[in-house]
Amino acid sequence: MKQQAGMTIIVKTVTRLMVWIMLVYGMYLILHGHLTPGGGFGGGVILALAFLCIFLAYGRTYTEEWLNIKLLHQAESAAILLFLVVGLLGVTAGGVFLTNFLYHGELFSLVSAGTIPILNILIGVKVGVSLFLAVWVLSDPHLLEEGGDM
Amino acid sequence: MTVYLLCFVLFLVGLYGVLTKRDLIKIILSLTIMAYSANLFLILFAYRTDALYPILSKGVQPGQMVDPLPQAMVLTSIVIELGTTALLVALVVRIYQKYKTFDITKIRRLSG
Repeated sequence: MKQQAGMTIIVKTVTRLMVWIMLVYGMYLILHGHLTPGGGFGGGVILALAFLCIFLAYGRTYTEEWLNIKLLHQAESAAILLFLVVGLLGVTAGGVFLTNFLYHGELFSLVSAGTIPILNILIGVKVGVSLFLAVWVLSDPHLLEEGGDM
Repeated sequence: MTVYLLCFVLFLVGLYGVLTKRDLIKIILSLTIMAYSANLFLILFAYRTDALYPILSKGVQPGQMVDPLPQAMVLTSIVIELGTTALLVALVVRIYQKYKTFDITKIRRLSG
């Protein structure tokens, strides 16, 4: 069998099956952040760990094909910019930064709590992508050479 | 009281690592252990037996919950630890680029 980049076929198969479950669980935590323990940060960390599982099991080249790294950079910047926009919309709606301007909804229902689920989603994207990208950038083999740049 | 002392022992384990280890990666790990022990200490302060997690849900009165303030503080602290650890790892990568070693006793030259 041809030796390929990454770990053995056992690890690759298990990762391929588990990654989707991890991604769904991360999204569940993010979307239910205003109802149950969890939220943007915890869910985002789980999303990042799912990406890192692919990275560790399959190696750098495959991950670069599977994920659009440039798009992830843009998503990271866009998430925090949209967070700022939501906060400033709160200012225009009257009151201070991050004032809730949406319909509050019924207590304990999924669509409730105004802007908080939106902010949770944005934080989840930000944390998930930036945590993955931090490890991605720091694990660049080019860095170990003299004068390698981040 | 015992748990607080054990928490302090965990802090001392981290401090021992920072003071005696030569490998920069091990020093970063020891710093993380110290930070974890501080977090654990704050969480243990707020802990009460038979209390619930401080999230509003059906049929739970706020009096039954633990104090959410230390938990919010610790969540912030965890995020900041993440940032500082990433910064430390980036600095160590730079040091490795220049000196080709993680051993702090060998990193002595000022330049070149």
